[in-house]
Amino acid sequence: MTAYTFTLPDIGEGIAEAEIVAWHAAVGDSLEEDAPLIDMMTDKATIEITAPVAGRLTGVAGAVGDMIAIGAMLAVFEVEGEGHLAPAPPAAAKAAPPPAPAASPTPPLPPLAPVMGAASIAPPPPSPVPPSRPAPDAPRITASPAVRARAQDLGIDLADVACADAGGAERRVRHADLDAFLTYNRQSGYQPASATRPDEVIRVIGLRRRIAENMAASKRHIPHFGYVEEIDVTALEALRHDLNATRGERPKLTMLPLLITAICKTIPAFPMINARYDDEANVVTRHGAVHLGVAAQTDAGLMVPVIRHAETMNIWQLASEITRLAHAARDGKARADELSGSTLTITSLGPLGGIATMPVINRPEVAIIGPNKVVERPVVKDGQIAIAKCMNLSIACDHRVVDGYDAARYVQAVKRLIETPALLFAP
Amino acid sequence: MAQMTMIEAIRDALDVALDRDTAVTIFGEDVGYFGGVFRATEGLQRKYGKGRVFDAPIAEGGIVGVAVGMGAYGKRPVIEIQFADYIYPAADQLISEAARLRYRTAGEWWAPMTVRSPYGGGIFGGQTHSQSPEALFAHVAGLKVVIPSTPYDAKGLLLAAIEDDDPVMFFEPKRLYNGPFDGHHERPVESWAGHADAEVPTGHYTIPLGRARIARSGEAVTVLAYGTMVHVALAAAADTGIDAEVIDLRTLVPLDLPTISASVKKTGRCVIVHEATRTCGYGAELAASVGEACFFHLEAPIARVTGWDTPYPHAFEWEYFPGPTRVGDALRRIVEV
Repeated sequence: MTAYTFTLPDIGEGIAEAEIVAWHAAVGDSLEEDAPLIDMMTDKATIEITAPVAGRLTGVAGAVGDMIAIGAMLAVFEVEGEGHLAPAPPAAAKAAPPPAPAASPTPPLPPLAPVMGAASIAPPPPSPVPPSRPAPDAPRITASPAVRARAQDLGIDLADVACADAGGAERRVRHADLDAFLTYNRQSGYQPASATRPDEVIRVIGLRRRIAENMAASKRHIPHFGYVEEIDVTALEALRHDLNATRGERPKLTMLPLLITAICKTIPAFPMINARYDDEANVVTRHGAVHLGVAAQTDAGLMVPVIRHAETMNIWQLASEITRLAHAARDGKARADELSGSTLTITSLGPLGGIATMPVINRPEVAIIGPNKVVERPVVKDGQIAIAKCMNLSIACDHRVVDGYDAARYVQAVKRLIETPALLFAP
Repeated sequence: MAQMTMIEAIRDALDVALDRDTAVTIFGEDVGYFGGVFRATEGLQRKYGKGRVFDAPIAEGGIVGVAVGMGAYGKRPVIEIQFADYIYPAADQLISEAARLRYRTAGEWWAPMTVRSPYGGGIFGGQTHSQSPEALFAHVAGLKVVIPSTPYDAKGLLLAAIEDDDPVMFFEPKRLYNGPFDGHHERPVESWAGHADAEVPTGHYTIPLGRARIARSGEAVTVLAYGTMVHVALAAAADTGIDAEVIDLRTLVPLDLPTISASVKKTGRCVIVHEATRTCGYGAELAASVGEACFFHLEAPIARVTGWDTPYPHAFEWEYFPGPTRVGDALRRIVEV
C-alpha cells in the first residue's frame, strides 16, 4: 500500500485556481478509478473531476468553498502497488456544457495538454492565421532590414513605394525611394501626427495630492447618481441682457448669479439637497444657510472658494462676490475660511460646459450642480419649430441620503424659476 | 615607455609576471635553455632559474595536463605550445580538464593557466605552421580566447591573461612578432620600429579581457578583425578610400558585443575578416551575434572574408590568405548595397 497524491490538473483556461463546489467522496471512502470525486468551479465552468486511480481516499485539500491552486494537492489516495513518482496520470473529468467558443471573451487558448483528455472545456482553437503574404507570382519586394524598419516606423507599405531600379527581377526599395515617396506623397496621410516625446514623471504632491485624496474618498464612499435636464434660458438671457445694458457701475452679470439665485430660492422646499452627511456618525445636517462652493480652475489646480450665505444676497452682490473670490483663489490670496465650509457646490465650465456633466460630490456635501453650455437649439413651441437658447443642468447626488425623486423634483423647480425669470424676483 | 617588437613585449610581460608573482611558472618545448623558437622566453631561465622556467618533452597533452594540475595546486603556469598547429594532441586536456575544472568541482578547484601559442599565416609555413584554430577553442565553454594585434596590446593582454584565474588561450599572430603586416606581401618587410603601437610601458599594466579596441573610426562600414587581419583591414580601408570603422576584437571570448553593436548600428554595415577557414569559423559566430543585435539597423548583408575551406597551402599562400585586395573588394561590395 502506498500513497498516491492527486494534484489539481491544469484545466487549461489560463486559470490559476479553482473553487471546490462539491465533494462526491469523503475521507475513508474506497473509490473505483473514474468514480466521481469532486466538482471544481472556475470563472468559466464547473467541472466534475473523477478519481484518477482506484484506492481509498485518505486526505483532501479542503472543504466546499476553498480555492485550490492549479498543481496543488487535491486528494491523497492509498493505492495498491507502488503509487507513482511521475506526474498524475490522465485525470478523467467531464466538463459542464461548454460555452460557445464565439461567446468566449478570452483570447484563443493554447491546445490543451494531452493529460487533460476529456477535461477539455473548449474545442482546440483554430491555428493562428499566418500574416498575409504576397501571392507567389507577385513581384517580390526586397529591402534591407534598415529600410524595412524605417518603412514600418513610418507606416508605409513597401508595396506602395516606387523603386528607382524597378527594371530588375527584384524590386529593391532603398532609403532614397522612401525619401522620394515621402516627398511626393505628403498629402497622402503619411505624415505622423507628432513626434514621440519622452515620458514625464510628475509627483502628486501638495494641492494636487489633496485633490486626489478628496476625489478618491468621495468616489469611494458616495454612491453618486446623476440627472440632467434641458432648460430653456431664452427668457433668462433676455433678462440678463437687459440688466447688463443698464448696469451702470455694477459688475457685468453672468449666468451664474441668476442660477445661484434660483438654487437658493428653491432650497427651502428641498432641504435634503443643501446638507452635509457625516457618514461615520450617520447624521445628516440640513443647513439653513446656503454656503455655496464655486469650483474654480487655478494654475495650481481645482479650488472651491465659498460664497457664504448666498441665500441672503441679490444678484449684484453675488456677481461681486463671485468675481472677488475667483480672483482671490487664482492669485493664491484666498483665506482658509473662504475655501471651506460649503454646504452645496456648483461647478460651471462656462463656454467649455459641454452638454452634460457628471461631477464628483464635494464630500461631506450631498449634491453638486453643474450648469452646462448655453446653445441655440431648435425646439418645438406651440407645434412649431423655434430657435431657443438652451442650457442643460446636471446634478450629482449622494444616493445614500438623497433620492432620485427628490433630485428630479428639485431640478424641475429650478427649471421653472429659470424659464419664468420673473419668479426669481418674486417674494 | 620603450619601443618593443611584439615578441619583446611578450617577453617583457612574462618577465614582469615572473617577477611579481612567484607562483608564475613557465614551461614548454624549447622555452628554457633555448629561450623559445621565437625567442619569447629568451634569458628568462637564466634570470629566474630552472625551477620556474624549464623545458618540457614534446608531448603537448602532458604539458597542458601538468599545467592543469599545477594550477589546481596553486601555481600560475604559463605554458607555450610551440605552434598552434601542434595543439591538437592537447585537445582532450584543454577541453575535458582545463576548461571544466571549475565547473566540475562546483568552484572548489580551478586552473589559473595561460596557454601561449603562435598562430596564423603569412610566414611561408605551410599547413603545419600557419593554422588559425581559435574557433575550436572559442567553442569550448570555460576557455577564454585572446588574440593581440600590437606590441602594446600583447603585453597588457598577456598580463591580464596570466592574472585571470581561469584558463586563457593566448594566440599570438606570429607574422606580427617582428613587425606589422598588412597583407601586402609584395612590399618590403616592415618592422615595429617607430610604430605608435610599439610604444610599450615598462613595468606592469593590464588591458582588461573582453574590451575591444577601435583601430580606426569610420562611418561607412564596420570591419571586425583580430590579430594580423586588423592590419589587413586598415590597409584595405586605406587602399579603397572607404571610411571603414575597424574594430580589433582583442578577445574573442569574452566578446565585446556592446562595442560591436554600437558600431554596426552606426554604420549599418558589417564585414568580418579572419585568416581561419570559413565554415564554422569565428566569423560565423560574429555574424550571428551582429544579426541578432543589429538586425533592424542593417543596410546590407553581413559579409565574411576568410581563408578558403582547404588546409593552409604551401604553394598558394597569397591566394589563400585574405589579403587587402579581397577585403577591399568586400568593402566596396557592401557599401554599394
